[in-house]
Amino acid sequence: MVSRMHSPMTRDLVISVLLVLVSVAWTAPVSAQAQKLIVFAAASLKDALDEANLTYQRKTLQETATSYAASATLAKQIEAVAPADIFISADLDWMDYLAKRNLVKPDSRANLLGNRLVLIAPVNSTAQLVIAPNFPLAQALGDGRLAIADPNGVPAGRYGKAALESLGVWSSVTDRLAPAENVRATLALVSRGEAPLGIVYQTDANSDKGVKIVGTFPENTHPPIIYPIAVVAASTNPGAPGYVAFLKSPVARPVFEKQGFTVLQ
Amino acid sequence: MVELLHLSVEEVTAVRLSLRVAFWAMTASLIPGILLALVLARGRFWGKALLDGLIHLPLVMPPVVTGYLLLLLLGRKGPLGQFLDEHFGIVFAFRWTGAALACAVMGFPLMVRAIRLSIEAVDSRLEDAAATLGAGPVWVFLVVTLPLTLPGIIAGMILSFARSMGEFGATITFVSNIPGETQTLPSLIYTLTQIPGGDAGALRLTLISIAISMLALLAAEFLTRRLARIFRANDF
Repeated sequence: MVSRMHSPMTRDLVISVLLVLVSVAWTAPVSAQAQKLIVFAAASLKDALDEANLTYQRKTLQETATSYAASATLAKQIEAVAPADIFISADLDWMDYLAKRNLVKPDSRANLLGNRLVLIAPVNSTAQLVIAPNFPLAQALGDGRLAIADPNGVPAGRYGKAALESLGVWSSVTDRLAPAENVRATLALVSRGEAPLGIVYQTDANSDKGVKIVGTFPENTHPPIIYPIAVVAASTNPGAPGYVAFLKSPVARPVFEKQGFTVLQ
Repeated sequence: MVELLHLSVEEVTAVRLSLRVAFWAMTASLIPGILLALVLARGRFWGKALLDGLIHLPLVMPPVVTGYLLLLLLGRKGPLGQFLDEHFGIVFAFRWTGAALACAVMGFPLMVRAIRLSIEAVDSRLEDAAATLGAGPVWVFLVVTLPLTLPGIIAGMILSFARSMGEFGATITFVSNIPGETQTLPSLIYTLTQIPGGDAGALRLTLISIAISMLALLAAEFLTRRLARIFRANDF
């Protein structure tokens, strides 16, 4: 039929239209398949959330795409109307930042997980420290630096600074810091042996065989480490509430606890 | 308007550090850049394409990866880093020298490209003429090739400087974000964007960054035009 058309231009036009129709039909969802969920999550959640997402997909066939970055970066992106459905922050401040601007659905907000702050060293280090008021952190550093996520904005760094301040050692190490971009970069610095000591979450320390925990910061030295979760206000994905419910459910609990998170009620 | 230009101590430190780092990155890259550009422009040897590719690697790799490789090789525990520390006392880890190195590496391909193109544009007959008049190859290079390549060299220097003023990923991965030591202008701008309400400061520093780069560009333009005038005055 096509070859019998007289004008080559008409033939080309028909072929083009057919190709467009075919490609549209090809990419259109075959059934009322669930729309992919876009999750923005704090960097420290990577291992645990990847596994939880896999479990969820196996159960419900719901696909998720997760972007892991510093909570500040993610919050700013959501503010700039990034198409996220779910936001899991590493501290309350960045969730409050979005809540104040009405960018999250208030009744979907919940405190999902807790974490602990630890002091780490390279796995073959001989450092021995007991975390107590005025403990000799500066001396233990020698001529090296304390790796910490940037205390100005990254939650892990803020908790670390608060803990060191309440223990009275912050002023002794202010000019001995190596502020990294996020908590995983901090972990890498210690794991590589570039920094003799570092402050990260317990969950990060558990995930890297190249570091060992020298001590755990008492919970009363820093604000409680809470990972809040919420559905983004602009999200129209019907699968979002179900996903949040799953993460709060007893099924997801062991996945998080295995990594070292505490599941909050 | 005046408040806009009122900089905190932290911000002034970052600006001065950025200028220092960019200047040294550009200066340290100059001689290796000219030599490698010459080799690539005039040389004919096995592995030339490989060398070219290697030099352009920082252009195609994510900056964070380049920074991580620098950390592996030249960090305190890196093989090259330990060697340089033990034998020459040169330390890059967590020092402004490391920031300068990261910037130099990221800007190097841009500089080499600019200089190479300029060398290739030099009429080889002028060099041949100088040789017939008795000049050795080194003298030919210094007295004939190099002056004619100057616009390209200036362009390469400006590219390296500008790239260093904007370099972030490799720097923060290699030497982190230490105020006064490795917190360059881009690193401070990034830090401010991570603080709720820090956007105003970030914007202010961005404008300053643009102003510095524009000034550098104008200076380069002015220099190039003066050189062109000198050459034209000496036309035969």
